[in-house]
Amino acid sequence: MSTPIVALEEVDKRFEGGVQALAGVNLQVAPGEFVTLLGPSGCGKSTVLRLAAGLDTPSAGRIDAPALRSSRADTAFVFQDATLMPWASVADNVWLPLRLAGEGRAQARPRVDRALATVGLAEFADAFPRQLSGGMRMRVSIARALVTQPTLLLMDEPFAALDEITRQKLNGDVLAARQAQGFATLFVTHSVYEAAFLSQRVLVMSARPGRVVAEVGIPEPYPRGAGFRNSGRFIETCAALSAALEGAHA
Amino acid sequence: MRIERALPLATFAASLLGWEALVRLAQIPHYTLPAPSLVLQTLFANFGSLATSWWFTLKITLGALVLACAGGVLIAAVFALSRSIERALFPVAVVLQVTPVVAIAPLILIYVESTTAALLLCAWIVAFFPILSNTVIGLRSADANLKDLFRLYRATPWQRLRLLLVPSALPYFIAGLKVSGGLSLIGAVTAEMVAGAAGRETGLASRILEASFRTETPKMFAALLLLVLTGVLVFWSFEALSKALLGRWHASERKD
Amino acid sequence: MTTRPTLLLAALIAAPALAQDKVTFATNWKAQAAHGGFYQAVADGTYRKYGLDVTIQPGGPQVNNRPLLPAGRIDFLMTGNLLHNFDNVKNGVPTVVVAAMFQKDPQALIAHPGQGYEKFEALKNAPVALIAKDGQFSWWQWLKVTHGFRDEALKPYNYNLGPFLANKRAIQQGYSVAEPIYVENQGQFKPVVHLLAEHGFSTYSTLIETRVDTVKNKPDLVQRFVDASILGWVNYLYGNRSAANALMIKDNPEMTVAELEASVALMKQQGIVDSGDSLAKGIGAMNEARIEDFYAQMVKAGLYKPGEVDLAKVATFQFVNKKVGLDLKTKLGGK
Repeated sequence: MSTPIVALEEVDKRFEGGVQALAGVNLQVAPGEFVTLLGPSGCGKSTVLRLAAGLDTPSAGRIDAPALRSSRADTAFVFQDATLMPWASVADNVWLPLRLAGEGRAQARPRVDRALATVGLAEFADAFPRQLSGGMRMRVSIARALVTQPTLLLMDEPFAALDEITRQKLNGDVLAARQAQGFATLFVTHSVYEAAFLSQRVLVMSARPGRVVAEVGIPEPYPRGAGFRNSGRFIETCAALSAALEGAHA
Repeated sequence: MRIERALPLATFAASLLGWEALVRLAQIPHYTLPAPSLVLQTLFANFGSLATSWWFTLKITLGALVLACAGGVLIAAVFALSRSIERALFPVAVVLQVTPVVAIAPLILIYVESTTAALLLCAWIVAFFPILSNTVIGLRSADANLKDLFRLYRATPWQRLRLLLVPSALPYFIAGLKVSGGLSLIGAVTAEMVAGAAGRETGLASRILEASFRTETPKMFAALLLLVLTGVLVFWSFEALSKALLGRWHASERKD
Repeated sequence: MTTRPTLLLAALIAAPALAQDKVTFATNWKAQAAHGGFYQAVADGTYRKYGLDVTIQPGGPQVNNRPLLPAGRIDFLMTGNLLHNFDNVKNGVPTVVVAAMFQKDPQALIAHPGQGYEKFEALKNAPVALIAKDGQFSWWQWLKVTHGFRDEALKPYNYNLGPFLANKRAIQQGYSVAEPIYVENQGQFKPVVHLLAEHGFSTYSTLIETRVDTVKNKPDLVQRFVDASILGWVNYLYGNRSAANALMIKDNPEMTVAELEASVALMKQQGIVDSGDSLAKGIGAMNEARIEDFYAQMVKAGLYKPGEVDLAKVATFQFVNKKVGLDLKTKLGGK
């Protein structure tokens, strides 16, 4: 791999109270690559994302990530909760990262509009989060993540709370955006189907303590669509992932 | 919508009529319970002097409220920034809140030179705690993920305060404000009742006292009516403020 | 309507031990020597001898007993000066004065010695005047108009001597027969005392007030209460008052015998209770001229408009001026 955009080397993370969230985690993400962390609850997947975002520091080991090189807008994070500011309009929510970087509302407006168009919410720019459905709010969250044109997108089980149809639609939207902008993605999920559909590589993790126990490559080229989802390759991939998961449990 | 407005008005009108009827039918003497018609008559006859007192009570109430906001928000900000300061000083705030102002007022009147300042202080003590307590909670209630997001995008502390903490705290602050509005009036009136200040700068409470000492019961009721009106005005103003600031986005202002 | 009192009298004559009328008398302060005569009449059985079972309901710092009289919750009320009664008449409250136990109002202003307040005229320049609610709305207004006192100095007096003791330039209200004693005890100095009565505040004091319909329907009851009260005062001032003092201390535990006795001495010295008219007509004496004169003064002071109060309704003289208690006083040595 040429210089990875994210690299964890023998990373441990122990929390106060003695919980060992991660032990000896090694992983790398290449620029533009889509990597998924797959595993049961409590295996430290979210912790890895937070470390990559610079929101936490490891207890041992080394991390390299864009956020840690203190450049501003290179990393974006999408939480499981849409995490919108309820007091601000959709447009103002998407504006936030640019605003924090010092851009005025008028100056940022074209990029905000483009981000909203990417997720298909251009007409809802002046609506308030309260007026939107769960799926729409998640799309706003994604638009906000994309508005700064990040090189790394971190997503922590973003579609877990949505229904299957919306989930699949948003899967497609993320891939499309990645196609257009070329960012790397570190994606966390415990859905085998999602991991199979979205990723180039899936790192299977096990819990207590969290560590990577298996790696499954998915060579299917992009763009991926309903064709892939209905194919035999997809089913085989899912089977392989499920087996790896079970193996991680054992 | 019309029924919504009509119902409280109808109830109010009915109670007034009932009161008037009761006084007339039971022939209750005016110095025991004056009829609403007599109270209104007395109000108009004395409106000049009562209005001056009304203005004074209003000034104290609003003054104390403004100071309570300033004090409450400032102290809340300090508490939100430093847990240790909060732990050290919060008990003081609690003690101030639970000590009945009726008991403290005479002491304050002894220690403080100006009667107006003493009244402001009494009303402030009563009014500031809800604002302080609510704002502290509000400042702490900022969504954890949003806080992470702000960190991720390298927000300055000022940006964090302005764009995240203040809006997060706003609903709580306004809830506290609604409570403090009424308390401020009660504090001002209680303090003045205890002070029994006569003279130039006096509010409605003094007029009520004066009327009671001079057995002018209809005037007592007239002054009381103005007090109640003030309380209602304060309440409605804050309801309107709440709707204006929170109407578009906060659950507490949902129409259902 | 006259059958009732007649029957009562008949019953009284027939069975003196049985016919006790229950009567509640509310005062305007906690028990003090200025209430002594009434407590005396309870303690030595004078009220009982007159067929009255009297309960004394003390007033106090935050207590306002006055509305209880027109409301029918008490039978007789003690008022401190005629202004209260003028107000009642003006506002159509049906009450009336039946006796004036004090010929002089002991209401006074006291000041620290050596501060230049030895002359009454200097008081109006005091930076702080501690006046309680009751006074603020009555005789303070008279002081402002007639003697040039200013509201700028007015501060609420909450019956705590602290602010006065702490501030040498302050003046405060008090009863000439009470507060100076407490000030001497707590502050260890004799304050300068200015009696308002000596500067034109010519009202009677410690008046007995009752409802108009009580006077109309039970005049005999009223007469008995007034007579027994007068005798109570004679006995208190000139006889053995230890039982009365004990009763007052029971009602007001902060009071001491020494303070009570000192107060009695002052009452006698200043002629508060027994002077002028009462020497010839008995304690409780009242006359119209004095009431009219006082009213005229209050009109001049702007408290009332001329003719606003129907003076005929303020007091009734049918129960006093009958020389009640004069021979008892002589018997006791009357000093």
